Amino acid sequence: MSRQELLSPEGLRVDGRRPNELRRISCRASVLSSADGSSYYEQGNTKVLVAVYGPREPRMRNPSLSTELAQINVEFNVAPFSTSERRRRSKGDKRLLEVAAFVRQTFEGAVQRSVYQRSQIDIYIHLLQNDGGTLEACVNAATLALVDAGISMVDYVCACTAGFVEETPVLDLCGVEEAAVETPDLTVAVMPRNGSIALLQMESRLHVSKLNDVMDLAIEGCKHIHRKLDHAVLAAANDLAEKLSH
Amino acid sequence: MSSASTATAASNRTSIVTPGRRLGLTQEYTAGAGTYVRGGTIYASVLGTQSIDQGDDSKPLLQVLRSDTKFSIPTIGSEVLARVVRINPRAASVAIQMVGSTPCQEDFQGIVRVQDIRATEKDLVQMINSFHPGDIIRAEVISLGDQRSYYLATVKNEHGVVFAQSIDGNAMVPVSWEEMQDSKTGAIEKRKCAKPF
Repeated sequence: MSRQELLSPEGLRVDGRRPNELRRISCRASVLSSADGSSYYEQGNTKVLVAVYGPREPRMRNPSLSTELAQINVEFNVAPFSTSERRRRSKGDKRLLEVAAFVRQTFEGAVQRSVYQRSQIDIYIHLLQNDGGTLEACVNAATLALVDAGISMVDYVCACTAGFVEETPVLDLCGVEEAAVETPDLTVAVMPRNGSIALLQMESRLHVSKLNDVMDLAIEGCKHIHRKLDHAVLAAANDLAEKLSH
Repeated sequence: MSSASTATAASNRTSIVTPGRRLGLTQEYTAGAGTYVRGGTIYASVLGTQSIDQGDDSKPLLQVLRSDTKFSIPTIGSEVLARVVRINPRAASVAIQMVGSTPCQEDFQGIVRVQDIRATEKDLVQMINSFHPGDIIRAEVISLGDQRSYYLATVKNEHGVVFAQSIDGNAMVPVSWEEMQDSKTGAIEKRKCAKPF
C-alpha cells in the first residue's frame, strides 16, 4: 500500500476535518458515585474515564516529601481492548508511567496544594479507547474530575495537540495522523483564563520557525476545549441545583 | 470588571462560578473560602455558588460555597471528634472521625500525649485515669505532628471524653470533670471528661 495521504488536495484530512478543526468532544462530570470526583471524556474516538479520590490521608508515606503541600498521585491505565490490536500492558510500562508523570506535573502547578497540607489526592485515569491525543484527553478529563471533586484549583487546565502536515499546522491529531512517522505532535496544556502554559511536550522534530504557528493553533484549541469543559461543569451544577430546589 | 462585580453584589443573586473565574478586586472585597488572590484580583478556586457577606468589617467578604463539603482535613486549631484506639502510659492513639461538623470519609490518625491531656498538674496525669480504648473524645489539633499522626490536646474544659462505656458495657454519664458513672450499676470510673455545653 502506498503511503497514506494525510492532507488531500482539497485541504481535508483523513477523517474529513479541516486543518483547524477539533474532533467532536462530549464530556460528563460525576459519572461514578463512589469517587469524590469523576468524569467521562470523549474526543473523537478517544475515550477516557477518570476518578479522583481525596484529599485524603497519604497512603504511601514518603518521609522525603514535604508535608506542607498535598501530594498528587496519578495512575494511568490502558484497557487491553483500547486499540484494534488487543494487548495487555504491564503496570510498569514506561509509556504509561510517562503519561502519568506528565499529568501529575501539570496538576501540581494547577491544584492549590498548600490548601491541603499533609494529604494526598489520587487521580486514576482509564483509557477505554485510544485514537490519538491520549495525553490531552487525560488532562482534560482529569480537570473535569478535579473540579467535580471540589478541589481548589487556580484555573482549569485544558490541553490540546497540534501537528504539522505538508506545510500546514493541523489541530487535534487523530490516531492515524499521530502514527505517521513524519508528523510532529505537540501537546500544549494552558490555564486559559490567565494564559499560562502548564505543559508543553513534543517528542519529534519541528523546525523552530514553525513552532509558533503550531503552538498558537494548539492554544486556540485549548480555549475552545475550555468553553466545552466550562459548559459541562455548569450544566452538571445547574442540574444539581435544580434537583435540590424541588 | 469592577462595575460587573459591583452589579453582582448589588443584585446579590446566587450565581454558580467555576475555578479561575474573576470575582472582584481586593480593594472592594475580602477574599474568603474557595477563592484566591493574584495581582489584586480575587479568583474562584472551586466550583460553587458565589456569596457576598456584608460583615462588620469595612469590606464585604467574598467567598465561593459548596453545598456538599465532601471532605475536611484537620488543621491546627480545628476541633475534632475521635475514637480512642489504644493507650499506653505515654500517649493515646486515636482515630479522628469528624473535623468540626464534617465527618471524615476515612479516619485520620492522631495522638494525645499524656502531657496534653489537661492544663494543670501535667506531671500527675495518668493515661489510665483519663482515657480508655473505645471512648469518644473531643479534642483540638495542636500540631500537624510527625509523618504518622496529628497531635491533639484536651486541655480545654470543653474537651475530653464525651462518650464512654463502663467495664460492663453500659453508657456512662459524667459526674465531675474527672469521673463518670455507669448509669445502671452506679460504678464510678475515672476519665478526663468534656464539660457539657
